[in-house]
Parts: sequence; C-alpha cells; structure tokens
Amino acid sequence: MERHFIKELDDLKMTLLNMAALTRRAFEKATQAYLNRDEALARSVVEGDREINNLELKIDQIVLKLLALEQPMARDLRFILGATKISKELERIADQAVNIAERSLFLCQHPPLDHLPAMDQLIEVADAMLDAAITSFVEENTQKAIRIRQMDDIADKYTLEVLQTLIDKMVKSTPGAEKRILNTRRAVQTIIISRCLERVGDLATNIGEHVAFIVEAINIKHQKIDFDE
Amino acid sequence: MEIEPKFTARHLNFFYGDFKALDDISITINTHQVTALIGPSGCGKSTFLRCLNRMNDLIPGIRVEGNIQLDAEDIYASNIDVVNLRRRVGMVFQKPNPFPKTIFENVAYGLRVNGIKDKKILKQRVEKSLKQSALWDEVKDRINSSALGLSGGQQQRLCIARALAVEPDVLLMDEPASALDPIATQKIEDLIHELKKNFTIIIVTHSMQQAARVSDITAFFYMGKLIETGDTETIFTRPSLKQTEDYITGRFG
Ligand SMILES: Nc1ncnc2c1ncn2[C@@H]1O[C@H](COP(=O)(O)OP(=O)(O)OP(=O)(O)O)[C@@H](O)[C@H]1O
Ligand SMILES: [Mg+2]
Repeated sequence: MERHFIKELDDLKMTLLNMAALTRRAFEKATQAYLNRDEALARSVVEGDREINNLELKIDQIVLKLLALEQPMARDLRFILGATKISKELERIADQAVNIAERSLFLCQHPPLDHLPAMDQLIEVADAMLDAAITSFVEENTQKAIRIRQMDDIADKYTLEVLQTLIDKMVKSTPGAEKRILNTRRAVQTIIISRCLERVGDLATNIGEHVAFIVEAINIKHQKIDFDE
Repeated sequence: MEIEPKFTARHLNFFYGDFKALDDISITINTHQVTALIGPSGCGKSTFLRCLNRMNDLIPGIRVEGNIQLDAEDIYASNIDVVNLRRRVGMVFQKPNPFPKTIFENVAYGLRVNGIKDKKILKQRVEKSLKQSALWDEVKDRINSSALGLSGGQQQRLCIARALAVEPDVLLMDEPASALDPIATQKIEDLIHELKKNFTIIIVTHSMQQAARVSDITAFFYMGKLIETGDTETIFTRPSLKQTEDYITGRFG
C-alpha cells in the first residue's frame, strides 16, 4: 500500500510542475509578443498571471500542511523546502513576463525600433536558462542545474550590449524634439525588457541552486565553479 | 567541553544461541552527549544497549565476541565487577517499573543495596536524585506514600531518579517515553537535555522526531548491523546512505 504521505509529495510535485509549465508558457508568450508586436498575446500574459499566483499560494498551503502533519525528514524535507523556494522564483519569473508583456503593449502602439540582434540572443539565452532550470528539476539533474550559471554570464553580456546600443541611439538621434522623445521612450521600454530578461536568467539560476539542494543536499549558491573543468 | 569517548565498541558480535543478533558493530559513544539508536523492530537496538552494562549476561546461551571499552577499560574482561559496572551504567526501561514501596524507598533502593545506611546521606541523595529527574517539586510532600499512586510519566521520572541515585556515569534508556502521553514525553525529553550535562545518555527510540529532538548523535541499525552513524542534524537532513534515508523517511519495507 502506498503511503498517504508519498501521494501528497507527488501532488506537491505535480502542482509545482504545473506552475513551472504555466510560467514557462507566460515567458514564451511575452517574448513572442515583444518580437512579433502581438498585442493580444501580450494581454493574455497579463491575464494569465493570476493563475500562477494562485498556484504559489496553493503550494504554500500544501507545504505548511505537510510540515505540520508529516514532520518530513531528510530528502523529503529538502524537497518540501525546495518546493517553496522554487515556487517563489517561478512567481517572480511570471511577474517578469507580465512586465515584458506590458512594455510590449506600449511598443506595439508605436512604429518599431530598428532590429536589435543582441535582444534576440538575450531572449534565446534567457529561454534556454529557464528551460534548463525546469528540466533540471524534472530530471533531478544537478549537473544541468550547475550549468545554468555559465549561461548567466552570456545573458549579462547581451543585456549590456542592448543597453549600449540603445544609449548610442538615444544620444545620436538628432531630429525634432517630438521624434526624440518618442525614440527615448521606446528605447527605455526596450531597456526595461532587457532587464526583465536578465532577471529571468538570474531567477532560473536560483532554481538550479534549489534543485542542487534538494537532490544532493549541497549549496552551490556561493560556490565558485571552475568552468574549464 | 572536549569530546571524550565514554564507550568504544570494536567488532562486536552478539549471539543468542546460534542466532547472530549483532554483527561487527564498531562505534564510539561520546561523554556528555546523547546518542540515539534507531532502526526497525528486531534490528538489535535493545541487544546492543544491554551489552553496554552486561544485562544480557542474565540470558542463558548468549555469546559475545569483540570488545567494548568503558573509559578505556574492557567491560568483558574477567576481572570486571559486574555489579559495579551496572552501578556506573544505569538503565531505564520502556514501561515504568516502580517497586510497590514508597517513593522514598524506590529511590533509596540502589543506595541501600550499595550498603549506605546513614539516614542523613540517604535523605540527601534521594532529594538530589528527585531534583535531577525533575520530580522533586511534585512529590516532596508525599515522599512516603506509595510510588504506585504516581502517574505514568511521574513513575518514569521516578525510575530515572532511582537510576541516578547511585551516581552512574551513563544512562541507558530503552524507549523511555513510548508508554507516555505527549506532555509526559516532553518532560522526559527536557530532562534528557538537562541530564546530558552530567551524564552520558544512550537512548533507543522508535520515534524519528524524538531521536531528532533529543540526540546529538544518531546511529542507524538494520538487521544486526550498524549501517550509519553521524551527528543527528546530518542524519536527519542529509544522510549519506540510501538505506538510512529510506528508513527515516518511512519508505522501508
Ligand atoms: N532473549 C532472546 N533470545 C533469543 N533471541 C532474542 C532474544 N532477545 C532478542 N532476540 C532476537 O534478537 C534480535 C534483536 O532483538 P532486539 O530486542 O535487540 O531488537 P530491537 O531492535 O530492540 O527491537 P524492538 O525495536 O522491537 O525493541 C531479534 O531478532 C530478536 O528476536
Ligand atoms: Mg528493543
């Protein structure tokens, strides 16, 4: 007979996976909305956020109950603590997706800026980091979790590149005052989006750390990793 | 405080007739620490505990191999005074077992056996032991009434006082709280925290939570073998062996 507690742990894992899938979807929709200037898609991200918030609350509830009623130990305890941490990170990622969607809604109202290749790459890296974070959790794969941090440096690089390119554009844009204000506003909104993307990468890195804690009981948070190894 | 070994068991085998109940146990038990022995029923916890004060000697057909040292002295050596060993290594059992005598006489029992007759000394030692076992305030006004009139939790603390009266170094406790309600259990657990300042305590318990709450070191036994031992925090948060993890998370069998 399967223990009641094991079933409850499975429920917790399923709820967390569900939250991860929705968050990932929100992030993808937000970045698509930005790239394709798709207002409807951007709105659906804003509207979908409530469901993700509710899942975070639900996870807190399950965790509280399991801690109080089951007094879990060892790996179970680490999993339960890790689940609350991961759900918090997912909730924040979803908030970043909403932020990206809102900025994209603004950008959709105006003619597009010149194409920014660094932005495409930043989106790709952030997406890969989020993907690695979620699969590292699903597969309980610490190696994958640790590797997310390597991508973080790349994300930082592209974020900086976006910033520099847009600052240059703002400085150099000469025509009439009105055009200049519009240019600046679009550039600032785009910079905010790049910040959100970078933040998603950071939060994905955190998820990787929580996975390592759950699986191996190790803390990789403040560990130096030799990437050449 | 420096950590010193109190007991050192090396390659201990124990047999009930042909049945090997303990298999190659090596463990060091530190002074002024609480060591919890955990493991499924029949794994040998009580047997091991009883090896430490040679209580098993009373069972016919037993055999011991390997060695156990108490303060660097081999307790199975032929010149060992077993009565004195049991004075130094006291024991408290699962079910409180007070004698049908007064509270005073229950605690004074071991002292009388050890030849102490002086009324004043007896009174002093009984009072001290009852204070150490956190029972004094509850019984000081009825010290001469029957011990059987005490509650289960009070009876267990009385048995602890009885064990402490002869001033042992070590207290062995075999599931001391398993017959008690939560409040009485908590009192025993608080008492263990208090007593470890002066005594070395080894406790057998089936409650993972209790082992986690009261002990410094946890030793996991399985089928007569010592599988893993380590500081309690590590054992209950990140044990190194899967077998240990499976047991403490209730996935066994
Ligand atoms: N007097 C005895 N004669 C023969 N076999 C015994 C005797 N006492 C215990 N055993 C056997 O030795 C093994 C270990 O028993 P022990 O009582 O030490 O286990 P335990 O871990 O304390 O179990 P529990 O948690 O049920 O108290 C068991 O298989 C038991 O049946
Ligand atoms: Mg037993």
